[in-house]
Formats: sequence, structure tokens, C-alpha cells
Amino acid sequence: MQSLTRNEQDQPEPLKLEIPMGWPKPEKNLFEKNQLTEQGFQLGKKLFYDARLSKNGEISCASCHQQFAGFVTFDHDLSHGVNDGFTTRNAPALVNLAWMQEMHWDGAINHLEVQPLAPLTAPNEMGENLDSVMLKLKKDPEYRRMFKNAFGNAGISSQGMLKALAQFTGSLISANSKYDKMMRGELPFTEYEKRGYALFKANCSGCHREPLFTDNSFRNNGLPLNRFKDIGRQQISNNPDDSLKFKVPGLRNVQLTYPYMHDGSIYSLFQVIDHYRNGIHTEQATLDSSLRNRISMSNKEKNDLVYFLYTLTDSSFLKNPRFGPGELKPAKAEHHLP
Amino acid sequence: MSLLLMKAMVLIMPCSLLDQVAMAQDGELQISFTHSANGEPIVFRDSTYQNAFGENYNIYKLKYYIGQIKVEGLDQPINALPYYLINAAGTNEINLKLPPGKYKGISFLLGIDSVSNCSGAQSGALDALNDMFWTWNSGYVFFKLEGRSSSSSADLQRIEHHIGGYKAGNNVARIIRLHVDGDSSVEISNQKITRLTISLNLDRYWDAVNPIRIAEIPVCMQPGLLAQKMAANFEALFTLNVVP
Ligand code: HEC
Ligand code: HEC
Repeated sequence: MQSLTRNEQDQPEPLKLEIPMGWPKPEKNLFEKNQLTEQGFQLGKKLFYDARLSKNGEISCASCHQQFAGFVTFDHDLSHGVNDGFTTRNAPALVNLAWMQEMHWDGAINHLEVQPLAPLTAPNEMGENLDSVMLKLKKDPEYRRMFKNAFGNAGISSQGMLKALAQFTGSLISANSKYDKMMRGELPFTEYEKRGYALFKANCSGCHREPLFTDNSFRNNGLPLNRFKDIGRQQISNNPDDSLKFKVPGLRNVQLTYPYMHDGSIYSLFQVIDHYRNGIHTEQATLDSSLRNRISMSNKEKNDLVYFLYTLTDSSFLKNPRFGPGELKPAKAEHHLP
Repeated sequence: MSLLLMKAMVLIMPCSLLDQVAMAQDGELQISFTHSANGEPIVFRDSTYQNAFGENYNIYKLKYYIGQIKVEGLDQPINALPYYLINAAGTNEINLKLPPGKYKGISFLLGIDSVSNCSGAQSGALDALNDMFWTWNSGYVFFKLEGRSSSSSADLQRIEHHIGGYKAGNNVARIIRLHVDGDSSVEISNQKITRLTISLNLDRYWDAVNPIRIAEIPVCMQPGLLAQKMAANFEALFTLNVVP
């Protein structure tokens, strides 16, 4: 109990979400009812990296969302959960989430704060139930201290846990890639990159809109129905017009987020462009009208476009220690938790 | 049982806060909820009931949200804290303060309004810990009935009716309007506590407007047409009585 008195008087230090220069303001203020603070962020980060949140103590959020790979599961089409389970979708990059109103590939999640409920309780992800997560947190003096510092005397609650996680995930902003530096006039593009950028604006930015590289809409870009019979958005809307529509993914750090698409079915960026050139299933009724005629592009143009996509790699984000696990104490030695 | 009871009481406690701020001259209204099937108070698990289609069933869980309570004749909702989770396995009492007078009836929302469905992590009755939030398709389950039935073709002969949906086209939140009989009224005075009982008769659940056969619908787990069909029976479930 000693630790409860330590730092007890600290007031949470408010933080402001920095909106990068030239970016739109988020449609809704994610932190309107969840004051972003240093203590809340740190608590969220600890939770994000803590495998004890899962049923068997082996899977944390970060197991599937790895910072060095833009917070996807590196080099995995699907991710491993507890009990040798596999997800049925590719783990998306966690980035610029404060600009996103509906999360997951099909938009099933209506608020970033409630998103963790899905992986925490899914039998093929973290396999836990909330009551048990709460018990584990409550037994840990470090969590008791951190919840208190972040949320005052309210103690450990599911609401606090979810809000803290949203403070961490909502703060993951990537806005310092070569592309951003070029836009700010700090660096020039090479000739290849310039040509690739022009091609991108001509063919891709209708859906992958700058600067987030998504317009957050749900569209069908012509992939086949996969072996899980995943119909995407239709599952949520019950509307057949939404069949095979998935969220347009933001392309930041796309160089590292392979394999691609909602099911990880395309391995490389070259193959992605080949898909748009000649793989699109044009027979699908819900295919986006802008892709009916596929996208024609020479091999040389394909290379240029890939060079441009590489400019979205933001190493200051991928290596930012603020978003990394930091010096996590070995869980088992410190605390005695189930 | 005792755990469920405790949970139900904790959820309903916040109205004591309101008691403190209410005007001194207000009268007190106490609403309690009762739940019956086949004319008997519901006994969980052990008692077998029969619906209008002759299907036998046992009840494991019966929980639902109500909120936005209003009395007819007063414009505003009378309580600031809008949602209560009623758990038929516990005691459910809501205490309200309101100006003295004679009221014809009471109304409430069965369900959760759309804004509260997308406002992130919440506490109290709306805490995700209450197991009334769909984790894989955000939104609250408004009404949950679980049980077993020999007519069910689902795994373990389950009945799993999780009815909810807040988006336009799928919204199943229903305003339930209840009146007292004939010429009588609900009289609130600052001299005594007025007691009302809202009774849920589960017999109506299966056939009040739309037929809900367990053989056809053992499971309803998401918003949509099916949930709407089932919610059409909601209003007929409830009756209002003044406790003399
Ligand atoms: C077993 C792997 C796994 C674990 C563990 C996991 N996730 Fe995910 N995450 C995924 C997958 C797969 C998706 C895509 C789900 C879908 O679209 O249906 C996803 C989606 C997300 C999204 C939505 C991103 C977007 O762009 O729509 C967020 C946010 C997120 N996860 C955060 C978390 C947090 C926080 C945790 C820990 C509480 C967590 N994840 C644990 C695999 C995982
Ligand atoms: C009609 C809208 C649209 C257009 C135009 C479009 N895309 Fe996409 N893109 C999508 C959608 C939707 C997805 C996700 C599809 C899925 O997973 O089912 C996607 C996925 C991707 C991905 C995978 C990203 C990831 O994280 O998995 C890449 C890379 C990509 N697009 C690049 C491009 C490029 C390059 C162009 C231009 C040549 C382009 N897109 C044009 C809608 C579009």
C-alpha cells in the first residue's frame, strides 16, 4: 500500500493533441470528454504493452500492433491470438486515429474508447472477460497508483482503462515523413518521387485523400470474396449495397505495413499496383465506379508510384520512444498476478 | 442471486444524489419493477414456462435498459441521470422526486438513445462491465433474454435474444407509455411516498404484435430486421399499477 501515497498529490498534467500543420481538424474532438493528460497517456501505454490483459498472459495489444511496423503485425497476413487462435482480418496500422470516426475494416466500432473491448474479449485475440481484467488491474499496486494519478479517486474502472487506452492510441500521429517534409518545404522530392506523386494524385487520391491518405469511406476496390466469406461493411449495415466494402486504409508507413488489404492477401506494393492495373474483379456489382476501367499504368510508372509511397515512411514515428514500450519492468518478477 | 441483487441496487443508487438536490416541497415517487411469466413471478433456471405457441422454455437472464422517464403532464424528464439497467433477477426500485399533482401516466424509453450509443466508454448503468454492450459491433443491447428451450435448434438448446440497434433504420429503442386505469390517476403529494409498480408480462413477448417462435428465432444477436420485428412486441409487455 506504500505506493499509493507516493505521488498522490500530483495533478494530472493536461496535454494538447497537436494538429500537424496543414491538416484538417478532426471531425470530432476525441478528447472532449476524456481530457488528454500525461498520466492518462502513460497509463494507456502501459496497458497497451501489458500481456496480462489477455487470458493466458501472453498477448498484448502490442503483440499484434508493433511500433516498428507502423503498429501492424509485421509480415503477417493474419495475427495470432490466445490458444493458437488467428484473427480473420489483417491488423491495420494504428495511426492518426483521432481523425477516424469508425474503426475496424468494416467500421463496426463507433468510438475509439470502446474499440479495446473487441480484442480483449474475442476468443481468437486476447480471450478475456472484462471482470477478470478489472480484477487483475486492481490487484496491482502500480496500476492502482497510475489510475489514481490519471483519474483521481475514481479508482480502477473499465471506463478509466478504456479512456486511457484511447489516450495512447489516439495520440499516435505520424506526420513527419519525407512527404510531410516536402510539403513543408524542408526537403525536395527526387524526380522519381515527383512523378510518382503526380501519378498518385491522378489515380489514387480520390480515395486515399491527403494528408491522411484516406477519406475514411468504405469502398470495394475489387478484391475477391475471401475464404472467410468476409462481406465487410454489409455485415454491419445489413445493406447489400455495402457488400465487399472495406475502409479505405490510410497509407502512412505503407512501406512497412505489408501484407496488405483487409485479409493481408497482397504481399507487396508492386502487387498492390498490379491489382489496380489488372486484378480488379470488374464483375462485382458494388465495385467502386472509379475503378470500373481499372487503372492503366506502365511498369516504369509503377516503379515511380512505389517510390512515392516510400516517402510516407516516418522513421521518427516508428522509432519514437514515447510510443514504444520503454523500460517495462518484467511483469512476473514485480507483481504476483494470475 | 445476491450478487445480481447488489449490482441492480448499485446501478439504481445514483438517484439518491438527485434526492438531495430536489426541491424540498417535491413529492416522492417510488417505482418498482416486477416480472412474470404464465402468471407467476419469474423464477430463473428452474421453472419451465410455456409461450403462446406451446413452446416450453426456462429463463436464465432477463435484463433491459430504461431511461428518459417522464410523467404525463410534466414536459421534462424528471431525472437527470437517464439510464437504469433493470435486471429481473434482482430488486429494481427507482426513486424520483416530482412536484405534487395528479398524473395520468408515465412513459420511458426502453433502450438507449443514439448519442449515448456512440459516446465512448461510460460508467454506471452504461458501463461495459454490465455485459450489455456489443464488443464487436459497437452499441448497447437494449433488451436481453437468455434461456433454454427444447424447441431451440441452437447449440445447447439456447435462447439468446439480444435486441438492440440505434442507427437510423435499425433503431429499436421504443417509448413505452403507460396509463393508470379509467378515472384514477397517480397522485403525488409531499405528505407520503407514492408507489407504482411497472409489471413486465413475458407472455406478451412472444406474440403481442409479431409471432416470435423459439423454433424459428432461437438467437438474435445483432441489429437489423429481426430485432425490429421483436421490438414491436415491447410496448405490450408492460402495465402500470398504483400500489394502494
Ligand atoms: C490478436 C491480434 C490483435 C490484438 C491482441 C489486438 N488487435 Fe487491434 N486489431 C487487430 C485486427 C485484426 C484488427 C482489425 C479488426 C477488424 O477490422 O475487424 C484490429 C483493429 C484495431 C483498431 C482499429 C484500427 C483501424 O484503423 O480501424 C484499433 C484502434 C486497435 N486494433 C487497437 C487495439 C488495442 C488497443 C488492443 C489491445 C487492447 C488491440 N488492438 C489488440 C488485431 C489485434
Ligand atoms: C476507389 C477507391 C480507391 C482507389 C481509387 C484506390 N484505392 Fe487503394 N484501397 C482502397 C480500399 C477500399 C482499400 C482496402 C481494400 C480492402 O482491404 O478490402 C485499399 C487498399 C490499398 C492498399 C493497402 C493498404 C493496407 O494498409 O493494407 C494500398 C497500398 C493501396 N490501396 C494503394 C492504392 C494506390 C497506390 C492507388 C492508386 C493506384 C489506390 N490505392 C487507389 C480504395 C481505393
